[in-house]
Amino acid sequence: MNNKSIWALFSLFALAALALTSCAQPTPETIIETVVVTEVVEIEGETIIETQIVETTKEVEVPVEKQVLIYNSYMSDPDPRAADAEVVTMFSEANPDIEVLHSTVAHEDFKQAIRAYLTASTPPDVLTWFAGNRARFFIDNDQLMDISDLWASEGWNESYPKGFQAMSTVDGNQYFLPTSWYWWAVYYRISIFEELGLEEPTTWEEFIAVNEALKEAGYTPIAIGTKYRWTAAAWFDYLNMRINGPEFHVDLMLCKESYDDPRVAQVFEVWRELLDSGYFIDDAAAYSWSEALEPFIRGDAAMYLMGDFIRDSLPDEIEEDLGFFRFPIIDPNVPIGEDAPTDGFFIAANSQNVEAAKRFMAYLGSVEYQTYFAETLNRLPTNFDVDKSIFTESQQEGLELIEGADFVAQFYDRDTTPEMADEGMNAFMAFWDDPDSIDGLLADLEAARLEICAPE
Amino acid sequence: MVRVRKNLIPYMFLIIPLIIYLVWVIGPMFYTFYLSLTDWDGLTTPTFIGLQNYQKLFEDKVFYISLFNNLKWLVSFITIPVVLGLALAMVLNRAIPGEKFFKMSFFMPMVLAMVVSGLIWGWMFHPAGGLINNFLVATGIMEKGPGWLSDRDLVLWSIILVATWRQVGYVMVLYLAGLKSINPQLLDAATVDGATGWQTFWRIILPLLMPVTVIVIVISVIDSLRAFDLVSVMTRGGPANASSVLANFMYIESFNNYKMGYGASIAVILFFLSLIFIFIYLWRVMKDELEY
Amino acid sequence: MNTQYFKSPWRILVYLILILATFLWLIPILTGLVTSIRTFDDILYNGFISWPKEITLGNFQEAWERGGLNRYLPNSFIITIPSLVLTLLLSSLGAYALARFRFRFNRAIFFLFVAGMLLPFQVLMLPVFKLTDFLGLYDTYWGLIAFHTAFQLGFCIFMLRNYMRTVPGEIIEAARIDGCGELRIWWQIMIPLTLPALAAIATLEFTWIFNDYLWAIVLLRSDNLKPITAGLATLQGQYVTDWPVIVSGALIGTIPTLLVFLFLQRYFIEGLTLGSTK
Repeated sequence: MNNKSIWALFSLFALAALALTSCAQPTPETIIETVVVTEVVEIEGETIIETQIVETTKEVEVPVEKQVLIYNSYMSDPDPRAADAEVVTMFSEANPDIEVLHSTVAHEDFKQAIRAYLTASTPPDVLTWFAGNRARFFIDNDQLMDISDLWASEGWNESYPKGFQAMSTVDGNQYFLPTSWYWWAVYYRISIFEELGLEEPTTWEEFIAVNEALKEAGYTPIAIGTKYRWTAAAWFDYLNMRINGPEFHVDLMLCKESYDDPRVAQVFEVWRELLDSGYFIDDAAAYSWSEALEPFIRGDAAMYLMGDFIRDSLPDEIEEDLGFFRFPIIDPNVPIGEDAPTDGFFIAANSQNVEAAKRFMAYLGSVEYQTYFAETLNRLPTNFDVDKSIFTESQQEGLELIEGADFVAQFYDRDTTPEMADEGMNAFMAFWDDPDSIDGLLADLEAARLEICAPE
Repeated sequence: MVRVRKNLIPYMFLIIPLIIYLVWVIGPMFYTFYLSLTDWDGLTTPTFIGLQNYQKLFEDKVFYISLFNNLKWLVSFITIPVVLGLALAMVLNRAIPGEKFFKMSFFMPMVLAMVVSGLIWGWMFHPAGGLINNFLVATGIMEKGPGWLSDRDLVLWSIILVATWRQVGYVMVLYLAGLKSINPQLLDAATVDGATGWQTFWRIILPLLMPVTVIVIVISVIDSLRAFDLVSVMTRGGPANASSVLANFMYIESFNNYKMGYGASIAVILFFLSLIFIFIYLWRVMKDELEY
Repeated sequence: MNTQYFKSPWRILVYLILILATFLWLIPILTGLVTSIRTFDDILYNGFISWPKEITLGNFQEAWERGGLNRYLPNSFIITIPSLVLTLLLSSLGAYALARFRFRFNRAIFFLFVAGMLLPFQVLMLPVFKLTDFLGLYDTYWGLIAFHTAFQLGFCIFMLRNYMRTVPGEIIEAARIDGCGELRIWWQIMIPLTLPALAAIATLEFTWIFNDYLWAIVLLRSDNLKPITAGLATLQGQYVTDWPVIVSGALIGTIPTLLVFLFLQRYFIEGLTLGSTK
């Protein structure tokens, strides 16, 4: 009995080993050969030499020389992933001499794996990544390839708005290619607003009034799931930008301002008003952002501060009932800042297939790719040469929202260092749980900031 | 010549596993010790900073929270799953109808991916729509179920509950294997001598299971101190670090905050903590072992 | 149905408690099963803990396709089985030496193997990655197999040594006196007698190695080498997490391990007992 099982295991092992060692079959290629056939024929004593030219086709096994391109992507959400695969197919068809080895990695895992990718002796050539501080970190450590030549040769310096150029440039050189972005706004259920005769609020007073009306009517005014914290960070971003202006907000992100500044405290005071008035859903910390969508979908909650990707998680009928408006203005004298997280690509500094990588990047920055991506996914392209008439109504609205802003930020956890983001988001959660503790929290945050952002 | 060769035999048996182990595990382990004395972001070259990481660690309140959480986990793990696992193994060791089904059922939690276990239990713990609270409210035990994962006092125990749910099957499997190596003739002899079930259990089976129990205790201590996946999936150490455990704390510091040196120092502390528990325990146990 | 079991009322009580405990234990799994046959919209509308209104088997198919399971399943086996065989082989050799021989470094080596189990393995990620890359094994099956084999040696040697000590010395002595070589003793006596332990370890090791994905993420880069755990992980997006599909995928992923458990668990039952002393 035990012998049998051991043999079984060994044969499994052998099979596995065989599978491992089986080599890839070379691709057969059809070659047309021209053959000269000489026939010597003897007819009635006379030797006639007949020469024929014959064309034969032979199947010859010739390994096809292809350039290899290793492309690793974190687009694991279902729709972007399908679009991504489609893009690789389209590129491969247009460039038959490049073989793209495409690997999609779960989004969260990619963030851990990227460090292994970049320091390996055979890294992926092209990778997806975020703009903002996250890219900056790798640029500062010489992990990204300088692609200024690509920016110049593809004319992106002209077709990409200055903002996107700026976020890809360090010390005058471009390292990053931003390709898609989306906006954040307060999304709401049109039907509920119509039922109560509410209009989209533009000022803070109007916003509070809307909240009150919703609450009176028995609705939960604002849905939010803070289990993973970043949804709370969104509220911080917007309240800070509306009260203190985007410049202060960005300086705070870059560690140039203090967390115990009274301006920061004011953000939390306003936030507290919302909490105390009971406008947010109960037990927000128990829900992930998508779990908190349930009341929104069911029609129990009316509003949700979220990025445009909220659509991907909504059933179609709800999506049709979806509207959005700019986060209300608190101080009309303050410039308008918006969060518009941007994704893009870069080439690893020690990529082994630079030429193929640059051709792929050129494609990714092109109008053709960006049009496809924008059409399929409702994101906005970075290449402004893309024909705007292809945008859906909501895309147009979103574009106007951002164009009407004075400043664009990336989002709290992309704008500041990961460590500070962690501290900050933990503080937001602690504040949400116990608003009275805010003074202690801000003092702790400031201490953390001093330590984390210590001047080099 | 023969004597020399005989003395070398154990080493010959050990040489390959030992080399592999030294290269892939012990080597990286020492590298980690070295890393704990550096400041490293995972990309650039590490800079040596001596014991600064440890100084920072001992002033970090998250470290102490994590440490106590691990200790609570440890106490839970060396009691509940061990008792339950042993009980199950005892019950299922006989020709009981449906034993394969029972064994598989208790082992199933270990087989399910941690991510999904965490997910499913997250739904069960849901304050409003979760199974547990629905049950509590429906049977009138409580008016409103607590926020199992959002309440700072309850969150760790909720996670430990899930960990125990998984661990019991594991312990059961270990004890089942152990029970198989007990000579049934010993048990028959005891019955003939008039021993009751309980006496047989306490006087014969349990002592004979001692090697397995040693394994189980050591494994439980190690697993409780290394606990990571469930915390990472269910709460990420929240709310506000209430459920933070050392491994999760280390992971966030190393891979989220790019502080690999600091993370390594946490790992080293974890290592020495486990070392103390395990080695003292093993040393005492092995003293009583018969020499062959 | 073996009704001989129900000899006494105690037995019946125990059996009832067993059934209740089993049911409680299976509730989360049953919840998972129910979720896997619901549609995403159904869950969005009605929440997770609710009776399914829309049922579909499509999630399994989607998990299979989108998770790339047909491509990744062979990889999981290619990685797991050699690791498992090598680990069992090497650890039983090592454990035999540690359990049955008196030599100077016995304790020291044993503690060395135990020590390696004490580190949380995440911290080993980057050092092992560097090592693997240095050896030219990055993005290969063997890199991953080598690591798994090495890492599991600690646990397996620890376990097997203890189990091997429960084998009475007389058998070994008798064999030695008969002039048996140590290797033969190991193969023909020790291995069969520790079969229950080997089967238990094989089951556990299969479970762990098969379910691992952290190391697959770190030590592999290419798509065509990925095991199913990495494939299933990609079902989790940055924003959208398709719960029914993920749960379906995870349930599919448990099948190989359950099969292994079923196949091996008869060795828990039929393991050779020590009547062979006579």
